[in-house]
Amino acid sequence: QEFQFGPCRVEGVVLQKLWQAFWAMKDIVQAQDNIMSVRLLRKEVLQNVSETESCHLIRALLRFYVNTVFKNYHDKAVEFGILKPFSTLANNFFVLVSKLQASQEKMFSTRKSARRRFLLFYQAFKQLDREAAVTKAFGEMDILLSWMEKFYQL
Amino acid sequence: DGVAVLPAPQNLSVQSTNMKHVLTWSPVTVPEEIVHYSVEYQGEYESLYTSHIWIPSIWCSPTQRPECDITEDITATVSYSLRVRATLGSLTSAWSTLKHRFNQNSTILTPPGMEITMDGFHLLIKLEDLGPHFEFFVSYWRREPGAKEHIKVVRPGVLPVYLETVEPGAAYCVKARTFVKAIGRHSAFSPTECVKVQGEALPL
Repeated sequence: QEFQFGPCRVEGVVLQKLWQAFWAMKDIVQAQDNIMSVRLLRKEVLQNVSETESCHLIRALLRFYVNTVFKNYHDKAVEFGILKPFSTLANNFFVLVSKLQASQEKMFSTRKSARRRFLLFYQAFKQLDREAAVTKAFGEMDILLSWMEKFYQL
Repeated sequence: DGVAVLPAPQNLSVQSTNMKHVLTWSPVTVPEEIVHYSVEYQGEYESLYTSHIWIPSIWCSPTQRPECDITEDITATVSYSLRVRATLGSLTSAWSTLKHRFNQNSTILTPPGMEITMDGFHLLIKLEDLGPHFEFFVSYWRREPGAKEHIKVVRPGVLPVYLETVEPGAAYCVKARTFVKAIGRHSAFSPTECVKVQGEALPL
C-alpha cells in the first residue's frame, strides 16, 4: 500500500481510509455545491499526466487543499458535524504533502507543464465566489482521489 | 454534593500494541458518585491550522471508565494531542492534556501467533488475525543441511496459508513476523516451529 507518483514514492497513507472518510460526508458536502456548470478538476488538469509530472502536480494540488480548501471549509465541517472524516482527510493530505516535499527536489524538467495544469485548476477556482469555490473544491475530492488511485499500489 | 471543584484527571498515558491504542488516566473519585470522562483529540493538521478545535473521541465522549480505546480516532500517521476532563452532574474539571503527543508509528509490534498444521502432505500455517493493517512475512525451510529458506508474504484475512508440499519422513521449520505498511515497520520473528512428516523417507 503506497503511492508512486513517478519518482515520488509515499508510504504510510491508506487510500481506503481516505475513501471511507470522503464517503462518510459526500452527500452533505456535494449537496452544498449549486454550480453545476463548472468543474475545477476538469480533464485538462488531470488527463494524460506523465509519470514525472504527476509528482509536481499532486503536490501542488494537495498543498492547495491543505492550505486553502480545508482551512476555509473547517467551520462548515464543524457546522455539518463531519469533523472526524474531515480530520482523517486533512491529516493524511498533510502527511502526503510533507513526504512528497522530500522526494520532489530531484526533478525540474516537468515542473512547468505540471504548473500549467495546476494553474488551470487555480484560475477556475479564483473565478468563483470564495465560499462557492471552497465548497466545490471540497466536493470534488472524489475526482482527486480517483486520479490518485491510479498511482496507488497494494 | 460537597464537591466545589472537580479535579482534572491525572497521569494520562497511551498504551499501543499492534496498532491498538488505549489512552488511560488515574480515576477521579468522589465518594458515592459516578464520575464521567470526555476524551478529545487533535491531529497535526488541527494543531497547526485550527488549534482551537478539538474533536470528540468516537467512543469516549462520555465514558465512565478511566480509559479509552482511541484506535478509531487515530486515522493518520501524524502526531496527535489528546485531552481528558471529568464531569459530575453540572461540575466539570479542567482539561488534562497528554504530555507527549502520540503517533501510531510508536506502536509495539509483537511477533504473531501461528499454528502449523498438515493437510495430507500440504504444510499449512494459520496466523493470528491482527486486523487490516497487518501483512505477514512467513519464512519456511526443510530441516536439512544447506536447505533453502523460502519467504511468503501473506495479506490480511488470508487463512490458513498453504506453504509447501512435503515429503514423508522429512522435517520442516517455519517462523513469521508482521509488517505494517502504514508505519513502515515490522515485528520480531516468532519462535521457529518445526514439524516432522509421518512415514518413511523416500529412497534416494
